[in-house]
Formats: sequence, structure tokens, C-alpha cells
Amino acid sequence: MKTILKTTALVALSAAPAFADKSDDTLNVAFTKELENVDSYFNSSREGVVLQRAVWDGLIYRDPETNEYVGNLATSWEWVDDTTLEFKLREGVTFHNGEPFNADDVVYTVNYVAKEENGVKTQRNVNWMESAEKIDEYTVRINLKDKFPAAIEFLSGPVSMYPDEYYAEAGPSGMGLKPVGTGPYKVVDVTPGQHFVLEKNEDYHDSPKGEPEITNIDIRTIPDVNTQMAEIFSGSLDFIWQVPADQAEKLATMDQFTVANASTMRVGYLQMDAAGRSGEDNPFTNAKVRAAVNHAINRQELVDALLKGESTVINTACFPSQFGCAQDVTSYEYDPEKARELLAEAGYPDGFETEFYAYRDRQYAEAIVSYLGEVGIETDFKMLQYSALRELNMDGEVPISFQTWGSYSINDASAMVSQYFKHGTLDSARDDQLLEWLDVADSSTDPETRVEYYTKALQRIADEAYWAPMFSYNTNYVFTKEVTYEPTPDEVLRFVDMSWQ
Amino acid sequence: MTDATDPLTREWQGPTPRDMLVAKVKGHTGLLIGVGIVGLLTFVAILAPVLAPHDPYAQSLMTRMEPPVFLGGTWEHPLGTDHLGRDYLSRLIYGARVSLLIGAVAALISGLIGTAMGVAAGYFGGKVDMVVTFLINVRLAMPVVLVALAVVAILGGSLTVVICVLGLLLWDRFAVVMRASTLQVSRRDYVAAARSIGASTPRIVLTEIMPNIFNNLIVVITLEMAHAILLEAALSFLGLGVQPPTPSWGLMVSEGKNMMLFEPWLVLIPGAVLFLLVLAINLMGDGLRDVTAPENRS
Repeated sequence: MKTILKTTALVALSAAPAFADKSDDTLNVAFTKELENVDSYFNSSREGVVLQRAVWDGLIYRDPETNEYVGNLATSWEWVDDTTLEFKLREGVTFHNGEPFNADDVVYTVNYVAKEENGVKTQRNVNWMESAEKIDEYTVRINLKDKFPAAIEFLSGPVSMYPDEYYAEAGPSGMGLKPVGTGPYKVVDVTPGQHFVLEKNEDYHDSPKGEPEITNIDIRTIPDVNTQMAEIFSGSLDFIWQVPADQAEKLATMDQFTVANASTMRVGYLQMDAAGRSGEDNPFTNAKVRAAVNHAINRQELVDALLKGESTVINTACFPSQFGCAQDVTSYEYDPEKARELLAEAGYPDGFETEFYAYRDRQYAEAIVSYLGEVGIETDFKMLQYSALRELNMDGEVPISFQTWGSYSINDASAMVSQYFKHGTLDSARDDQLLEWLDVADSSTDPETRVEYYTKALQRIADEAYWAPMFSYNTNYVFTKEVTYEPTPDEVLRFVDMSWQ
Repeated sequence: MTDATDPLTREWQGPTPRDMLVAKVKGHTGLLIGVGIVGLLTFVAILAPVLAPHDPYAQSLMTRMEPPVFLGGTWEHPLGTDHLGRDYLSRLIYGARVSLLIGAVAALISGLIGTAMGVAAGYFGGKVDMVVTFLINVRLAMPVVLVALAVVAILGGSLTVVICVLGLLLWDRFAVVMRASTLQVSRRDYVAAARSIGASTPRIVLTEIMPNIFNNLIVVITLEMAHAILLEAALSFLGLGVQPPTPSWGLMVSEGKNMMLFEPWLVLIPGAVLFLLVLAINLMGDGLRDVTAPENRS
């Protein structure tokens, strides 16, 4: 009852245009996109990941600085065989609703999310698990469908543990409205898509995530960047993120704000229809045309002038920190003259016309289109919603498009290269050789074999210029001087790492 | 019409109707300002390749968002550069082409459709009138922007699509005004006279009715032109109109929007030009109505 009273008081306070900040221990944060469901298995957005890491815990934790795996809800784990993992669970952990954490919770969660008909939004995050079984109160085994060396990475990321009794009763929609986890913050109020209020979990276990410091986190959805900035000026917001580079640069010149920049795992690239799905005579079926596209774009200039911050030019179809993401492959320097020559050799001395699709970052896409125009590739620019473009792409109707992929912050090359080059509906290359190599790399448990085959595959992708990898993204975090925060390079906002100055 | 044969007026020594019209035009400041601005912008649009100081598509990422000359910029880019380092003045000049083209062609298409329907309804009456009135009501019940948005979203935005969509949507005012005017004019004695000497329907419509409702048509054309220009800007602002890299004023406002807090001129300049053009066209339409309206004629 006391908590409820306290909560109501808090909500009332923050609803008024209160300058809630250090003085009342409330951090006001803005989300740009609406979050459809707080239940982390039933949304696929970055905002969802942020709340997931605050409200729930996984069995394992990856230190974002060292990339080392340490136990969180599990204290230790070992591979019983290639497809079985055994965990010793941490004792004495309780969920926010008082339910004790034990093997039953792990078994229930894994069995629930692994079942395809339960409709977990991102199947890739969970469909490698077959089932879980209880050995004793604090020992549990997870059975894999197949060999899956990235299992530890997934268990430290998107797979978090839910309370069995509560989840059985509430289900995804109940969990979305009144989330219950073991994490450093508990959710005290949810207005779906709009407003989330978190409160420090005083009984948080001795987790590698660390102890939460700030008592209240008040999150509001504000889609417009200008409005967000106006609010941080007026003091009704303390923390905004995903601030575009130009605005962040301006804010950095002001004394009252700290602007921190960190790389993200998101990689921007041009996907080209090498397989000829959008038409047999499609120019992109010609490797010389694809190489010409690679040569036509001044990626360094894009990074320096538009993306700024921690972004870098990318040469392979993955993010450099990912396991197996080889960097030493064929790269294409900016050389419009060579691009024109290659086009001429390919039979397009005067260039050609093509449709060009994009779904985000219109500015970057426009700049790329302009480079293509320089070498004679005239484009019919089409900006679509993500889902619409994805569908067109699945139907093989996209000759060339500007795409990005964030790998769900999974630090393993399989999350990107295997996602796109294994003859799935989004594979525009359809190369049998790649499929073979990637199958070996994905299912091997020997790290060296994996690296070897990923390298071979990435080298072939670069040689054939199936894609034109562009750059990695970065995120700008802007917060008032009262707040201390060190962003991590995985685009996950960690409230637990924030404190007052 | 009858002036030339009437001895009374023939002997009257005063200004001819043409003289009076010229005098009225000269005395109408709004009309002069409107025509002046529209004329100037049309001139700029036609001569864009000569007048624009730079290639409006030439991107230079190293010189992005340079301020215009009155905010401390250089004469190299008198109105500064946009978010991709393209010359703002050149884009503005080429953008005038897009706006005026869309305004003119969309008004022309809808003018043809609307006038044909309106005149037919007014002249024939009866069932034709019923059908046309029904169509007008259906059209008026549809929110233009929403329908345009939906159609453009389905077909994909391009100059041609935007022109066609607007042309096919904005005929309602033409139909309403033309129907009412025709109804009025077709009851006149000279129409009855033409009919009694056996003139054919096309001849009556073209030589007796059209010349007498033409002034109304001109006014509606200007209004709809302004309407079409604003709608194009709105569609482009929403990313559904003219597609980049084609310069369009609505697109320029949209591209500058994110930097509004820090570089307001990115939005203010195209916004101001758009405002000026629409204002000028409306002034012109108002003025034309004033000087050609029958009640002011004698």
C-alpha cells in the first residue's frame, strides 16, 4: 500500500510541468518511438531493449566494455555436449512481485518463448532453443535444436527470465502492462506507447550490472527531435538520445549539456539485386556494375560530414566488433573515374536508370543517390516505411536499396552475415558457395573454424561486391550537467549506470 | 454585344470598354502587385538554367549549411547551402519551376474537367445536372489532402503522379462555379436568339456562353493554382510529393525542419517564397475578379 501511495504521488508530481531532477531524484528521459509492448519478447525496437535490460535479467551478462561473459542469474554454466547447456542458478533472487527465482522460472520462460506458435516477435532470438529441463531447484539444462555457438551471446542479450507463475497468468499483454522481472528497476506505471515510470529495485541482487543509483526514471515518448530539444532547454527533460549529429554538435557548444557519442552496431549498406530477382536484365546482376557502385561513393566524406562521431567506414557485411567479422577483405576506394570505366566495360557507357529505395535517414540516402548520379546512375528515389520496403524486398522487387542492420546488438557476425546470405527471403545474392561456408561457420563449435569460414564468406561477398557496405552508425546522448553517464558502444541505454553529479 | 449597332452609344464620345478596363487595372494595386510577383517568378522559373548561380544538384558535403549572406555567409552562396551542401538560391530557383508547373498544369487539368462538367450541367439541366451535382457532392465529401496522400502513397510520389492526382481532385470549384454561371447565362436573350436561328449546341456553348463566363473561369483558375501549389508543398513536406533530389519548396522546408531550432533560415527562406507566390496568385485572382466582374463593368 505504501508503495502505491508513493507511486501515485510520484506520478502526480511528474505529470505537472515539474522540474523534476536531482532534487527529487527523478530522471526525465525521452523515447523517440512508441514502444508497442513492454514485454521484451513481443517488441523489436531499441526502446524495448532499453527497458528489457532495466527490468529483467538474463542468465548471463556480457560486460559491454570488455565483452567478457559473466554470470548474472546463473552463477556458472558448462556445455554438457554440443547441444546442451547446464546452468547453476543464483540463489536468493526474487522477482519484483516477491516470487522467488528458481529453475521453474527458467524452464517455463524457455519453453514458452521457444515455442513458435507463441509468436515471439524476433524468432531468431529464441528459435535455436528446443526446451529446458529442471535438474534440481537451482540447476537447469537448456537443450538446443542444433549446434549453436552464439548461444552464450543470445543468453546474455535478448533472452531474459520471466516469473513462471505470474507469466502463466498474465501472458504477454499482462506482462506488457505490468511488467515483473528481477532487474535493477521495477516498472511502477505504464501508459502503453506513451509513458513509463521506473523505480529503483532496492532489493536488487549482487549483479554484474551494478546497483541502480537514481531512484526514479520517468520516460515519455516524444517523436519530434525539436520538441525534445525544446524540453531539455526548458528543463522538463534531463536526458535525450539518438540526437542527430548536426543538432548534437550545436548542443555540445552549450555549457549546460554534456554530449556523449558512442558507436552502435548498426551498419548502413547498399543492397543490390545480384541474383536478378527484380528482372533478368537488371544491371546489378553484373559484378562490374556492383563494383562501380562501390567505387562511386565517397564513404569517408559521408562519415566526416554527415554521421560524424564514432562512425567509421565499413568494408564487410558485419560490424567490426562482432566475432568472426574479418576486416582484411577487398575494399573499394572512392574513385568516380574508375566507376565510370567499370560501367562502360559492363555495357553502360552512359550509365542507366534505376529505382532506389530507402526507409530511414533520408539525408544519407539522398547524399548516396547524388554520388550515384555523378557517375551516371540516375535514380528514381523511393522512400518507404520499413515494413513496406521489407515486403517489397522479400518479393525480390528491389534493384538497389539503402539498408541498415543493427544485429540486435548481438556481438557475433552470424547475426548479420548469416541473416542475409543464407538464401532467406532477404538474400539478394543467392550464392550457393556462401550458403555452404556460412553453414559451416554457424554450426561449428570451434572458434577457429568459425573465423576461417566467416572470413572466406566475407571475402567472397567483398570480391563479388554483392553489397556496398557504407558506414557504422553512432548515437548521440545529450544530458544535463547534473547527470553522469558513460554510453556503451551497443546502443543500449543503461539506467543502472547513470548517477547524479 | 449590341453596342456597335446602337446609334446612341456609337455617338457617345467617352472611354471605350477597353480603356476603362485598362484604367481599372492600373488603379488596382493588389492586382498589379500580384501580376508583378507571379510574372517575375514565372520569368525566373523559365530562365532558371541561366539565372541559377550553381547546379542545384551539385552536392558538397564539406560545405553544408553555410548561412546566407545576410547572416554572415559569403556571396559564393547568397542564400547559403542546404544539408547536403547544395546552393540554396539555385534550388529555390529550380523549385519555382516545380511549383509553377504543378500549379499551372493541375489547374489546367481540373479546369478542363470541371468546366466541361459544369457547363454541361448548367446548359442541359435535368438528368445531366443531377448526375453532375451528385458527382460534385461526392467530390466535396472527400478530404482532398487525405485522398491525395493515400493515392500518392500507393502509386509512389513523382512529379507526374502529383500533377495527375491534384489535377483529378481539384475540379470541384470549377464545376460549381461554371454550372452556376452557365445556368445564368443560358437564360439570356442572346442565347435564345442563337438557338432560334438554328445554331448548334457546340456553337452556342463555345461562342455565346463561354465568352460570357470566362471571367469567372479565370478567377477560379488562379485560386486553384494557389491551392495546388500549397498541396504540392504539403505532400512534398510529408515526403510523398516530389522526390529528391528534385528541388521543391515543400521538400526544402521538410529537409530544414530538423535544424529549425538552430538554423531557422533553412525553413524560413523557402517558406517565405512559397507564401509570397501563393499570396501573389491570390491577389491576382482577387484583382481579376474585381476588374472583370459584370457589376463593375459599366
